[in-house]
Order: sequence, then structure tokens, then C-alpha cells
Amino acid sequence: MNTMKARAGRSRVFAAVGVSMALVLGACGIGPGDSNDASPGATGGGGQPVGGGEPSGVLNFTNWPLYIDDDGEGNRPTIDQFEEETGIDVTYSEAIQDNSSFFGTIQPQLEAGRDPGHDIIVVTDWMIGNMIELGYLEQIDVERDIPNFGANAADKYKDRSYDPGNLYSVPWQSGITGIGYNPALVDEEITSLAQLFDPEFIQKYCGQIGMFSEMRDVISLALLYNGVTPEDATIEDVEAAQAILLEQAECVRGYYGNEYADDFANGSLAITMAWSGDVFQLQLDNPDLQFVVPDEGGILWTDNMAIPKGAEHPDDALAMMDFVYRPEIAAQVAEWVNYITPVPGAQEIVSQHADEAEADGDTETAEYLRAVAESPLVFPTDEMLSRLYSYKVLNEDEERQWAELFQRVTQG
Amino acid sequence: MLGWLRHHKGVVPYLFLLPGGLWLIVFFVLPLLTTASVALQEGSLASGYRLTFNFGIFPEAIGRWDTQLLRSLQYGLIVTVLAMLIGYPMAYTIAFRGGRYKNILLLLVILPFFTSFIIRTISWKFILADQGFILGTLKEIGILDQGFRLLATPIAVISGITYNFLPFVVLPLYVALERIDPRLIEAATDLYASRFQAFLRVTLPLSISGVFAASLLSFIPAVGDYLNAELLGSRNETMIGNVIQRLFLVNRDYPEAAALSLILMAGILVSIFFYSRLLRGQELTI
Repeated sequence: MNTMKARAGRSRVFAAVGVSMALVLGACGIGPGDSNDASPGATGGGGQPVGGGEPSGVLNFTNWPLYIDDDGEGNRPTIDQFEEETGIDVTYSEAIQDNSSFFGTIQPQLEAGRDPGHDIIVVTDWMIGNMIELGYLEQIDVERDIPNFGANAADKYKDRSYDPGNLYSVPWQSGITGIGYNPALVDEEITSLAQLFDPEFIQKYCGQIGMFSEMRDVISLALLYNGVTPEDATIEDVEAAQAILLEQAECVRGYYGNEYADDFANGSLAITMAWSGDVFQLQLDNPDLQFVVPDEGGILWTDNMAIPKGAEHPDDALAMMDFVYRPEIAAQVAEWVNYITPVPGAQEIVSQHADEAEADGDTETAEYLRAVAESPLVFPTDEMLSRLYSYKVLNEDEERQWAELFQRVTQG
Repeated sequence: MLGWLRHHKGVVPYLFLLPGGLWLIVFFVLPLLTTASVALQEGSLASGYRLTFNFGIFPEAIGRWDTQLLRSLQYGLIVTVLAMLIGYPMAYTIAFRGGRYKNILLLLVILPFFTSFIIRTISWKFILADQGFILGTLKEIGILDQGFRLLATPIAVISGITYNFLPFVVLPLYVALERIDPRLIEAATDLYASRFQAFLRVTLPLSISGVFAASLLSFIPAVGDYLNAELLGSRNETMIGNVIQRLFLVNRDYPEAAALSLILMAGILVSIFFYSRLLRGQELTI
């Protein structure tokens, strides 16, 4: 593919093609130049943060499935509490299945400067980086509008490389990409990426190996297997990683999104890439299922809340962001979601909830909460964290090259 | 206005065409031109796209995805033949033997449409699961090998598409067969044709417009389908629809996605052209 970097105004197209033709074709294009000029936040400079006003009473919060507390009867306590306290009417939807697909659905509105219909979106760190660069996110003022973030978030979740100074986003939850395995189907202990990639080893489990369809996760693990730190990867490293993945492909059952958890739980997958929080939840039904951070390393990723450009209810969005950084709310979410909360104070509160449940004689809940508070998958140990790497933040050329190499892996 | 029209009768047919014509312009011609324009642009989201008339994208895209293009046409062909083999006897029975149950039988054909396409396909995923009700049971009693599976095979994908588009085959065939005057078949048998000869020489030729419509209505969506390959297949059953979907929504490589869409359209048009020649220029009547 080509790498046309010039920022083309439409006017030049008109000149080049003759007006009538360009009128039809140009008007149908995927808006180049002109609307970019209308996005002042583009490179982080000059934009005014949203907020500082009165909430409008409406909030459209769009998140990934199963990513907030849910009492199983259609109620979401955190949302309900927020509505009660603030009087803001929240429409919570679980429309995000995949960063890029979701981005594809809102990109036309963002590019045209129209209200995207979402006031808070939750996307992964690298996507935050891309959207900042494209000028698709509203600037926020965490000190003024999200004081709980400064007070309660752990330092390692502040001021990250994809959004220095938290000018556009604050973390929702983090998680670890590692290996899950089902001891009922696997004879040995799995500790290493070699047991996911080595063609000879996986022959035994051919057709029972699960991989993700998320390019960054898959390539990063293959890079780690090759001894390359993902953030330092060159294109040659990625080509070598692709070779590993192509060799592995014949034994891969599928390249999954979130639905890998079903196949992992029902015994179709023996060894699979896995996200920490999912495995923790699956363990509640099947305590045998295992999750490991491989010896070679795993990935620590963070999903972040952000306000897309042109969102209609930014003040309501900021109120929600501040709300979820209260330790008791963070604990409530962590108890249900089981990913890694950016609020370390939550661990204490989950333990307290466990004690309270015990005192009430509700041993089942107490045991569950104790498991959450003590699980290294929810509150990872320093030893685990020391073996975790971040995704490389890709520029456009790299992203295109990586995507091309990876599509060969998943679609033959 | 009406008085004016009375004196310019020639305008009336064009006025009748106006709503449909506008519809086609807005929802067919413009999107098609957009697609063509996008295919010929170069650039990226951040830096903007520019129309460069990069026609090289077409051979490039074909070279990169020839396997998936051919596989899609091949699956489309198999699906059409299968759907015809299943659908023709069905339509024939409903049309000639349905009697007072005709309407109920037709309703049964359409009934699956009361549920969403996606839900129905996901259900197949459960039905065909390795350890699901059917395969699990057969494995349990030892009829099938433990490693046997249907999901992630061409069989699952082709069956899924056939299942999903079968009603599109049955309905036009039914309409064509229903119109045939049974007395023509009686006349043929009166003239000493066997029942089989009567079918071959009378019924089949008279229903050929239905056959043509039915095969188009299954072939075209089948070739472009991506859901069945996505849910029931694996990387080895990837169809061109999946490639376009990923290019467009995941890789955000809009030009190549648009180019492949046009190539797919062209491929379908060429196939239909030869097919209609084969059926001696039958007109598309639905």
C-alpha cells in the first residue's frame, strides 16, 4: 500500500480533476483536510477543556459488555447510585466489542464534527493515543473536574505515555493479556509462551489453541516469545513474529474476540490467550482453569474513559468520571468486573465487604469477595507487574504494516 | 397541473419513474460512486485522503486476496446448486401438491425470517458445537471420533449459507411453478410423454425464469456473505466479505476495502452475464 502523507485540501482535488467530476467524487470522499482544520484539539495544543459547567441531566455512557457491576436482574448499582445522587439520567450501553470496529462506527460523526451520541466512551490505551492525535477527544481538566482521580488513583495509572498529563482520559480498568489453560485437557503446567507457539509442542493440542483477533495483543505475545520488547519492535521484528504466528495458525482453533471465554469454559480450548479478569470469573465456575503471566512476559493494558469530540453532555460525563474514582464505587465495580482497578484503596474495601458478609452469615458472598480481594488477577503482585509490558504506540505507517501482516495470519 | 399533463401525455411515464429513479440515485448510484471514489483515494485518517486515481489498487487487491475471492465465488456456486436441489422439489411440492395447505407451507418457509439472521446463525454454532447436543451425543456413543468437528470446516460454512438463503430460492421458484397451467402437463402426458419427460420438456422450461431469479437471489448474497464464515468457519474458510469487513472496520484501510467491494461486484456481474447466456438470455423476472 501507499503512504500518502500530504494533508490534501479538497480545493486541490477540484483543480486537478475538473469541477463536475470532482463535485461528485470529492463530495463522497472520506473527509480529508477541511474538517481536520475544524478540530482545534488536534495535537493537544490550544484546545480548551470541556466542563466547569452545570450537568445537563443526561448522560450516554458507552462501554464494553460485562464491564460494570450488574446485579443479575438488569440493575447496575453503580449507575443507579449515580442517578439517584445527581439526578442525571444515564443511558448505559454495551456497544463496544472491539476498539477498531467501534472506532469505525463513530469515526464519520467525529470527522464531520457531529454529536457522536456517546458522552463517555471506554477504549484501550493505544486507541486513546490515536484519537488524541486525530483530534477526536475533548480535553478535560482532571484537577478541576475529577478531584477523586488525583486523590485516589495509583501513580502508575496517572500520566501514561499514551496521554501525558491525563489531558484527555482517565483509566477505567486495566487487565493482563497472558495464557489461560484448562488442566483437564493439558497434561503439564503451562508457564511459557513456547507452550503457545512452539509448533512441535502444540501438535498435541492442535485445534484446541485459542488466539485473539486483537492485533496488538497477538503480535505483542509473539514478539515476547522471540525475546523482543513490544515497545521496541521494528518492522523486521514484526515480520519474524508473523512467521511464528503463521506456523502456529494450522493448530489455532480460532482468532477470537470476547467470545473466546465461551470456548475456554466449554472445553473446546485447551490453551488460549486470555485476559486476566475473564479467567478470574471463569474460575468461579471452574476453579481448575488457570491463568499465567508467561515467563517471557505478558501485556498490561488499560481501558480509559474519554469524552468524544462534540459530545453533548460533557459535564455529566465528568461527574460520572469523578464518581467512579471514589474508593467505595471503585471497589463495587472491581467486585463485579474483576479486572484491575486503578484505585488501590479498593482492595481494603473489598476485604471489609467480605468481613461484613461473613458477619451477616452470608459465607458464599464472603468467600467470593475474599477471593476477589486476594486474587493476583484482580490485585496483581509486584512480581507479576514486573513481567508486564505495554503495547507499542504505533504511528500510521506502522499500524498499516502491522495490520497487513496480521490479517494474513487471521484470514489466510 | 393536471390540465398541463393532459396536453403532454408523454411526460407521464417519466413522472411514474421519478420516485424509483430518485431512490436509485440516492441509495445506489451515489454510494456506488462513493465507493469508486474511496477506492481511488490514497492517504490515511490522520493526514486525510486524496483522490489520486490510483487504479493500481485493483490488481494489487486481487493479487493479495485471490484465494478468498475465488473461495467466495466457489462457495456461492455450491450454495446455489445445493439450494436449488433442496428448494426446487420443495417449491414444486407446494405449488402442485400443496392443496389447501399451500399458504401454511409457504408461511413455514418464511417463518425463519421472524428471527434475526444473526441469531439463527449463532444458534447453528450451538447446535454444531464440538461437545454440543448432536456431536457430543454421537461422540459419547462412539459413532464419531472424539476429534471430529463440523464447526470451522467448509461444510459448516456452506451449510450455514445454504440454510440462510433457502427461502430466497423457494419463493421465486414457487411463483414461477404456481403460474404453470397443469393442463399443459396433462396435454404432454396425453401425447405420450412420460411424467419425467413432461417435467423436462414442459414444467422445467416454463419455470426457468424462476430458476434464474432464484439462483441470482442465492448466489449474490452468498458470495458476499461474511457472517457464516465469521461464526461457523475459521481462517481457512475466510470469504471475501470477511476480508472487506476487517479491512474496513479494523484496519481502517478504506481504499483497499472499497476496491475489493468493486472487484466483488464486477466478479458477480461477470458470473451473472455468463449464467444468463447459459439460460439463453432469460429475463430476470421475480
